[in-house]
Amino acid sequence: MAEIVIDNLRKVYPGAKGQPDKVAVEGASFTIHDKEFLVLVGPSGCGKTTTLRMIAGLEDITSGSIRLDGRLINDVAPKDRDLAMVFQNYALYPHMTVYRNMAYALELRRVPKDDIRRRVENAAKLLGLLEPDNLLERKPKALSGGQRQRVALGRAIVREPKAFLFDEPLSNLDAKMRVETRAELSRLHHALQATMVYVTHDQVEAMTLADRIVVMNGGRIQQIAPPLEVYHRPANLFVAGFIGSPRMNTITGTVTGEGDRVIFTEKGTDHPIRLAMRGDLARLLEKHLGQEVILGLRPEHLADARDLTDPDPGATFEARVDVVEPVGAETWVYLRSSAHQLIARVPHAEPRTDIGHTLHFTADLSRARFFHPGTGESL
Amino acid sequence: MPDADPIARHRNRWFAVILLVGFSIVFFLPFAWMVSTSLKPLNETMSLPPRWLPSEPQWQNYPDAMRAMGPFWLYARNSLMLALLNVVGTVASSALVAYGFSRIEWRGRDSVFLLLLATMMIPFPVVMVPVYTLFRELGWIGTFKPLWVPAFLAGAFNVFLLRQFFLSIPKDLTEAARMDGCGEFRIFWQIILPLAKPALLTVALFQFMATWNDFLGPLIFLVRQEQFTLALGLQNFQSVQGGTAWHWLMAASTLVVLPVVFLFFLTQRTFIRGISTTGFK
Amino acid sequence: MTAREKERLRTGLLFISPWLLGFAALTLYPLLASVWFSLCDYSVLTEPVFLGTENYRELWRDEVFWLALRNTVVFAAVSIPLGTALAIGLAVLLNQPVRGRGLYRTIFFLPSLVPAISLAILWQWLLNGSVGLVNEVLQWPLSLVNLVAGTSLRAPDWLNDPSWALWGLVLTGLWGAGNAMVIYLAGLQEIPAELYEAAEMDGANAWQRFVNITLPLLTPVIFFNVIMGLIGSLQTFAVPYILTNGGDGPGRSLLFLATYIYQSAFDYWNMGYASALALVLFLLILALTLVVVRFGEKRVHYAGR
Repeated sequence: MAEIVIDNLRKVYPGAKGQPDKVAVEGASFTIHDKEFLVLVGPSGCGKTTTLRMIAGLEDITSGSIRLDGRLINDVAPKDRDLAMVFQNYALYPHMTVYRNMAYALELRRVPKDDIRRRVENAAKLLGLLEPDNLLERKPKALSGGQRQRVALGRAIVREPKAFLFDEPLSNLDAKMRVETRAELSRLHHALQATMVYVTHDQVEAMTLADRIVVMNGGRIQQIAPPLEVYHRPANLFVAGFIGSPRMNTITGTVTGEGDRVIFTEKGTDHPIRLAMRGDLARLLEKHLGQEVILGLRPEHLADARDLTDPDPGATFEARVDVVEPVGAETWVYLRSSAHQLIARVPHAEPRTDIGHTLHFTADLSRARFFHPGTGESL
Repeated sequence: MPDADPIARHRNRWFAVILLVGFSIVFFLPFAWMVSTSLKPLNETMSLPPRWLPSEPQWQNYPDAMRAMGPFWLYARNSLMLALLNVVGTVASSALVAYGFSRIEWRGRDSVFLLLLATMMIPFPVVMVPVYTLFRELGWIGTFKPLWVPAFLAGAFNVFLLRQFFLSIPKDLTEAARMDGCGEFRIFWQIILPLAKPALLTVALFQFMATWNDFLGPLIFLVRQEQFTLALGLQNFQSVQGGTAWHWLMAASTLVVLPVVFLFFLTQRTFIRGISTTGFK
Repeated sequence: MTAREKERLRTGLLFISPWLLGFAALTLYPLLASVWFSLCDYSVLTEPVFLGTENYRELWRDEVFWLALRNTVVFAAVSIPLGTALAIGLAVLLNQPVRGRGLYRTIFFLPSLVPAISLAILWQWLLNGSVGLVNEVLQWPLSLVNLVAGTSLRAPDWLNDPSWALWGLVLTGLWGAGNAMVIYLAGLQEIPAELYEAAEMDGANAWQRFVNITLPLLTPVIFFNVIMGLIGSLQTFAVPYILTNGGDGPGRSLLFLATYIYQSAFDYWNMGYASALALVLFLLILALTLVVVRFGEKRVHYAGR
């Protein structure tokens, strides 16, 4: 049982001479449930690592509170929190063997020798450090990056801590190892049934690993939700732009009523994209008649009209094809309307020779999101 | 600086070789002269024009010089004992202090460290009078204590050197140790010290040399001849016999240099690296 | 302060406590005591008796003091530029792609390890006016000059000639340039090779590359070495003391402030006067270091920092 409750957490670094103070985390509140895999994600400098380090006890808390299973731990030393951390650069002790690296924390806690051996060997087996080669007596220098990563995981696992903290643990691996280790982490989480807090700037890691994602920017929490909800219902423009690749298309326009229809008209051009809303969306936009809004549409929700048997004429517009990027399983088509650059993900294996042509594209408006242009909040 | 023009490059390289060889001769000659003189009979040291080499090497000069100096082996023992005590004291205390200045973040640390750097501007002659009277109050004049106790109070330069090295050890490691359950002293002892061995060796070497070479300290703090260090004993010998027995003086000088040179060849790489890093902040 | 900040402050101070103790007893107390002693008549055997500024007034009138001060400044002003030039020159030579660099480096470096006692006795012998090696070597170029120009130049009797003794001491210092050389060499090796290649593409010759790339990028190291050299040369004591068999040279030409402090304190047991001298030496070091730092601030290039 390990539940971490964070309330109104704040971290301010005093500025150097003549510089203003730097706020790293501003009023973060969230709860990490028992056995949950929670991922903190955001661009560099967003405060995610600082938050994790405050949970670990490596960073002082300016104000706010962190409770572990109901106990206030603001002033508890890291060693007394019973949390294990996997560092970005693994932080293996270079002068100790793999075995001692993993056993060290247990030795310090005066765990009996037999227990230590058993726990280290179990973890080593789980992580493949015994087969095909027994790595336990090697020094970290003699290991590959992937192996070091496993030892770092093992060092945390043998602790049987209340919760695991991960600080961008995959960022030093090559692309192939990263994918493999990612899957392995998922497997580990299920096997250990432990609480895990994971920091990354990589949205794919966040999406694939998390039970819930906390998106941060500029020291503030932007959204806390399960991965698919973050993807499909981003709380604001920042989340919409940060999660998803290629990024969500955004079009600024105005809402008008024409008879019983609600029309979205692209702004800033004589030949605007015009989209006719229906159903729930029309009812939502009716409240904003005459106002400016931002339409967000994921690239996979834009289709080449020729690929559709019955394209909706109210959701179809003309755009010129600028660039065509085949990425294998699909093709990214860069479009230019008169005022915006858009991307469509279309399922063609071969790029067509459409560059420079003006074609018809159809939006799947049932998946469209709308944002307030001033606050960026979702409508 | 390689030159693109092959002819210029060739010319420059030859020029460099000639200068290197020339300077090498100039820098090496004093050594050669010292050893050569130390092996000459007394009359050949004074011959005009000077002889480059002894007619026959007088190896006997060495034991003779040692006897003429007085209790040579006692001097050597004193020097060695002081050097070792200083090495132990400096390495232990400077490492502790350097840890306090690099791995623990406490309020005011950087200002205090600046103060430490500033003390490097205060050489011993500036403070030697009150230091002497202080040690006199303690009844330490005429004992070895003034020459080794201060070593246990950390030297600014060594602290600076070790701090730079400690700062280069990834912060992750100490944080991992903290998560694993280490207190500060254990991190210092079990993580930082084992990783800092090269830097500790450098400090040990520098301190050994410094103590072995020290002259002013023994000159003012030591009183009785049987406590003299080699440096002081040799100076005593020089001033007593008034600069005539050059073959013995050279033999004795060679004997004082020899351990230093030996130590250098034993630890050349650590040594050069240690000095190289001192120039960079 | 939070509880954890207090805890860290306590731990930090505990770790640096050896130095704090040393600083208090061996730096701070002596500096303050020097100020007090310098205002007293104090011979160690009796308690200090307050004199006011008498020691300083005597200092002002004391020709020996002015001589010591002059010698100290002149020695620094001569030996630092020469030593710097020699050390940089040797380092640049060692940085050339020639064979046997390790051997040359060792030869240049070894003299800087020689203990002051051996160094001084050896140079006393090398600088001997009649049978010294230095004059033996100098005699060849001198007789050539004399032959060609019809002059009658003679090699000096270094350590017995008031006008040459200081230069003899400078020579002994230059022999120890290897230490600084090693630091310069490391500095040279830090300079990225692309810079030289870029300069070559721009058409710079070897000398232009040295002046426009090497020297500017070496300024941080030069700055460091000059400050260290300054502090070192202003406290010079052991080598001139031993060179002169425990004296101060012909016409006191090898009398430095440190020597005079030593003489006042331990030959004449005039601790008050010695303390006044020590404070002058302290202020001199402080002032000259500040001058160098001021001068350096604008001229030191910290590449990429």
